[in-house]
Amino acid sequence: MTVGVAFLEGEQVVYVNRPGSTALQAVAALLAGPTEAEAAKEITSQVPSGTPVRSVTLQRRVVTVDLGEKFAAGTNAESLTARVAQVVLTVTRVPGVRSVRLLVKGGTPLGLFPGVVARYPLTAKDVQAPDQPPPSPPSPQPPGAESPETRALQQRLADLGFLPPGAVDGRAGPQTRSAVVAFQKWSGIARDGVAGLATRNALASAQRPAPISSGTGPRVEVLLDRQVALYIDGSRVARILDVSTGKPGFETPVGVWGVTRKEERSWSVPYKVWLPWASYFVGGVAFHEYPDVPPTPASHGCVRVPRADAEWLYRQLSTGTTVTVVARSR
Amino acid sequence: MRYALAAIAIVFTIVGPASSAPPPTKTPGELRVALAMPSAGFQVGAVRGRDVVLARGFEIDLARALAKRLGIPRVRFVNEPLLSTLLKAGPTDWDFALAQISVTPERAKRVDFSTPYFQADQGVLVRRGLAPKPSSIADLRKLQLCAERTSTGGLLVVRQIKPEKKPLLLLNPSKLSYELFTGRCDAVVFDAPALAVLRRQAPDRYGPLVGRIVTGERYAAAFEQASPLRKRVNAVLTQLTKDGTLERLRKRWLGTDTSALPVVR
Repeated sequence: MTVGVAFLEGEQVVYVNRPGSTALQAVAALLAGPTEAEAAKEITSQVPSGTPVRSVTLQRRVVTVDLGEKFAAGTNAESLTARVAQVVLTVTRVPGVRSVRLLVKGGTPLGLFPGVVARYPLTAKDVQAPDQPPPSPPSPQPPGAESPETRALQQRLADLGFLPPGAVDGRAGPQTRSAVVAFQKWSGIARDGVAGLATRNALASAQRPAPISSGTGPRVEVLLDRQVALYIDGSRVARILDVSTGKPGFETPVGVWGVTRKEERSWSVPYKVWLPWASYFVGGVAFHEYPDVPPTPASHGCVRVPRADAEWLYRQLSTGTTVTVVARSR
Repeated sequence: MRYALAAIAIVFTIVGPASSAPPPTKTPGELRVALAMPSAGFQVGAVRGRDVVLARGFEIDLARALAKRLGIPRVRFVNEPLLSTLLKAGPTDWDFALAQISVTPERAKRVDFSTPYFQADQGVLVRRGLAPKPSSIADLRKLQLCAERTSTGGLLVVRQIKPEKKPLLLLNPSKLSYELFTGRCDAVVFDAPALAVLRRQAPDRYGPLVGRIVTGERYAAAFEQASPLRKRVNAVLTQLTKDGTLERLRKRWLGTDTSALPVVR
């Protein structure tokens, strides 16, 4: 007999099997956390390690899980909601269980887990269903002034593969800024998104990046050290994208993977957020659009792509497209 | 005479030299504080019926600091889900209530208020990556502003700021924060402490709190009328303000001391 325990991978929940058949065994396995081998594959948990179980009782298909105060430690809303989802999804997977009443230190939590109303028993559906409508695109910003300098900069970035040719319009904007950041990341220049002297000098002598791996057909390389993704067609790098990968403790797993599924709008169950243009390539790890792509690793393991490029990348990828994640590219 | 001296000595050791008699709490040696959980940053926890088994937040630490300075060894919290219960006239079984209760003349007819311990203005929180940062009402006018439809912030946006673009007036605060995160809103006008907490809980999702718009709303502890404890609490609140304890607690629980934000005019 095994129980399925809800851990996290990228922006999604993944289940791993543990010996056992009861809710208590499932909760104990969840609190024990991922094994070293699982952790090496970047499977994580937001349940604080060392959280004590006070009791687990089953009555009329409702399991009451009473955990120690440590379960509510911290202030990060994403972490707090994710750990509730982990408990509910783990326990409701045990045969015969419909819902979970969560207690902390013997009491009903009030406001300990942002966005979670724990006054009533929670079902799997309660924690899985989106609590926000899919995002609407932001209202278009008024176009900036056209300038020949911006056009020249954009043309150079486009020639090198950092900007799509269609985006050369002479007007500064978020897409040009991302392209500058991607170039700075590639060239090892301070990532400020401003085409200053160092950037302009480097641009003058730069060449189109070359792939790290050899291969045929369309494929993607994610370079963790440089925080860029290369979209490669054949042996030519078609585009270099500004991306942000997993932050420390949530590193994007290194290896050769393939796109497993694509979702135009994907809902992250543990972190309660919409991920537009998501292409999953290993477990819950995907390329997806995100409003904020900082110049350093920031995600839970996924590869954040700026809004201007996310749909384009999504359209290039198909199920099976090879995705190579490389830790060191120089 | 000897007995009297001994009694004075005992009182002295319990309450410390600052007080002349033990604080007149409902139960000697226990400060009982009524809450209306939850309110992120101010008071969250876990309850069994009315009993609070776990509590944390700015007002929880404030109650503990008050008890300590008053020389009361124990603090007990009780939770009353309805704010109106805390504002009813007549005797209570708690010593005072802490629940971000705004001081109003109408409420002051039913309960007695302490010296205010918190000034709750409206705050301006911007989306990540917004540049340049707005610092005046004129700057705000050019942005896509968002507010809760029927809130103080909503009224401020519509009547005072009068933005050039049609503001997005949403039905609840969670939609507000989500649209700020997705970038549909450039800036949100809402209760400053709530915005501070939001940012502290999800620092990756929002830009900075750029300022506040003064509305003068103040929070105070509510006592039953003619409570003998109120004066003692007021004296300690003054101390806690002067020695920086309140400021430290605001920073600790809200991530930023919202009363120190620059005023947007």
